[in-house]
Amino acid sequence: MHDRLTQSMRASHLLALLFVLAALGLAAMGAATGDTFYLRLGTEALIFAGLALSVDLLLGYSGALSLGQALYFGIGAYVSALTLMKLPSFWLAMAAAFLATLIASIIGGLIANRVRGVYFALITFGLAQVMAKVVYNTRELGASDGMIGIPVIEIGFGPFSVSAGSPVGFFLIVLAVIMGLYALTAYLLDTPFGRVLTALKANEKRVPFLGYSVWRARMAAYVLAGVIAGLSGALYPMLRGFVSPELMFFATSGNAVISVVLGGVGTLIGAIYGSVLLVILKSIIGSWTEHHLIVIGLLFMLCVMFLPRGLVGVVRPAIETWLSRRRPAPVAAADPADLPAIIAETARTSR
Amino acid sequence: MKTAAITMFAAGLLAATALSGSAFAQSGPIKIGVVTPLSGTYTPIGQQVRWGLELAAKEINAAGGIAGRQVNLLFEDEEANPSVAVQKAEKLFQVEKVDFLTGTVNSGSTLAVAQLAERNAKLAATTVSFADSITTDKCSPNMFRVNARAEQQSVALAAWLAKEKPKAKVYYLGPDYEMGRSTVAAFKSSAEKGGAQSGGEVFAPLDSKDYTQYFGQIRATRPQVLYTSVAGNDTVRLLTQLQDFGLLSGLTVVGASGTVTSQNITAIGAAAEGFATGVGYSPQIDSPANKTFVAAFRAANKTDPDLYGADSYGLLFAYKAAVEKAGSTETDKVREALRGLSWQTPQGTKTIRAGDHQAMQPMYVVRVTKGKFDIIDNVSSENAIGPDACTRF
Repeated sequence: MHDRLTQSMRASHLLALLFVLAALGLAAMGAATGDTFYLRLGTEALIFAGLALSVDLLLGYSGALSLGQALYFGIGAYVSALTLMKLPSFWLAMAAAFLATLIASIIGGLIANRVRGVYFALITFGLAQVMAKVVYNTRELGASDGMIGIPVIEIGFGPFSVSAGSPVGFFLIVLAVIMGLYALTAYLLDTPFGRVLTALKANEKRVPFLGYSVWRARMAAYVLAGVIAGLSGALYPMLRGFVSPELMFFATSGNAVISVVLGGVGTLIGAIYGSVLLVILKSIIGSWTEHHLIVIGLLFMLCVMFLPRGLVGVVRPAIETWLSRRRPAPVAAADPADLPAIIAETARTSR
Repeated sequence: MKTAAITMFAAGLLAATALSGSAFAQSGPIKIGVVTPLSGTYTPIGQQVRWGLELAAKEINAAGGIAGRQVNLLFEDEEANPSVAVQKAEKLFQVEKVDFLTGTVNSGSTLAVAQLAERNAKLAATTVSFADSITTDKCSPNMFRVNARAEQQSVALAAWLAKEKPKAKVYYLGPDYEMGRSTVAAFKSSAEKGGAQSGGEVFAPLDSKDYTQYFGQIRATRPQVLYTSVAGNDTVRLLTQLQDFGLLSGLTVVGASGTVTSQNITAIGAAAEGFATGVGYSPQIDSPANKTFVAAFRAANKTDPDLYGADSYGLLFAYKAAVEKAGSTETDKVREALRGLSWQTPQGTKTIRAGDHQAMQPMYVVRVTKGKFDIIDNVSSENAIGPDACTRF
């Protein structure tokens, strides 16, 4: 039952559990000291972690580098902002953002999935830039100034309600949403659909011979990633009370890619760790020196040179070994980065 | 477990920083947060803001501070991105507990920071953003603006134009994006109030290489005045191409304050001659206060101040006057003191209008003569300010 992918995902889940425990500990500490800034910074980091998660789904599983994932993040943010200004309901805003990004990512996917590799990266980049320019020049959407005046909402769960203005309350809600998205993605990747995605990354030409539609799998991954980015984006205006076209700019997409590489491509939880680390680093280094971009750039380069599998990529094999020793698995633990090699090998032997 | 260790480290770090940011309210130095672009495209503007504020803080501290308390400036880089600006401003408000905040450059950042200041019950001011919305339909009780807004610039220029070329036929050429269209619309309405006629308008894409395709239309309407709000290298191409086609003779070219600047004036060369615009500041202002300021600024930074440096310099003196008048740094008291406050700046007397928190100031019309801007006219603050359109307070 436990193949290599399941094995490594179980290690990711353990890291996810640690992440949630650490986040809960931090939230408790923040609440005890009456902190607001660090809790809200953490909330923002989690929101951008959702975006990074969607990038990792594409890059780490279907093997498609999206340089314009901020497009769906931005659409989610704008739709949520517009909804909240009409009717301050959390659920309605999330539903609206879901629908809007679903439609947008189907359209975007139809365009971007006509091509592969570097062309896919360029098309996604272009789509996001075009949309950002459209928003930048549309007066009804606030144009270059963005939109302010998004109310601080009450988020209702049956008889309970939490204010988005409460640092701890909103932190926990965002944590629940993002970890929910993580769990959903991890579940889907564990289904046959997820295996087809992994196969796509390893040997796309072979997939149709096994009876699967490449286009359909790529499309499904793209739409799923778009919706995840959109739902994360929908949380942004609830936290900050405004949206601006900069949310769709390349800087946002680029940061998400950096987070994924920092945390570990193809690990899912690595995207979340990477994003939190990047936001914290940017905040600390940015206050320390105005040359923070150089420092972040150097750290990124060092990470690519010495930790090419990212932070989680480094620790995960150890956890896998530990897990397999606790419960012996039929197959020895292997890193998913070796998967292409394994599949290629199977392909060779079956020839 | 390396990642867990890192998380624990980050957690410890967060807790330590959170605890160290305790408040020193009403004693010790007055902290002023500056959220301004220190990296990226807007760095030159952020640099002027920084120099202006640092010079003012140095002078205020040397003279005994604000109500006996020293001024301490805390800088953060906003990268000209509202999302970053809000995050940094929140850090300054909540962790550093600053008493006052300034520095935002692009209007989106200023508007977002205004809302944040409101939610944190603190005051903020901009010395750079000129979008009218900041002190009109999106005005905030916690935001002040001490620089001239777009309408003041166009009103000053239109007033000069009405005097210089009464009932002139004006042709408008703007860059084809939201800001370009709104600057043309704003100047057009000011000019038409002064009796100007419209000869037509055209919008060229940003970064156009060839403007000659529009010259036929311009020739056909025979305008006396051409208004343009293109900027940077677009201005270089537009003006030199106009000159090559011999269209500049008998035509007065006027424009937005960012159309011809010290950065592109040499590249435009002789084609810039006669270009006029409305500004809130010029280092040539002939007053003792400005001469002292320019000399001190040049000594400190080896360059001339521009309007951003001058407006930022002036802001600290407004804050000083307000805190001393209020006898406290509390938000409500300082807000009351700032409303209607008149104070001296290198640009002359400025007054903050209580109704919309917009500074009223004398405006200047400058024209390029022999490759340099000369002040040719000024418009009194009352005539340049325009109606109070803020309804929130």
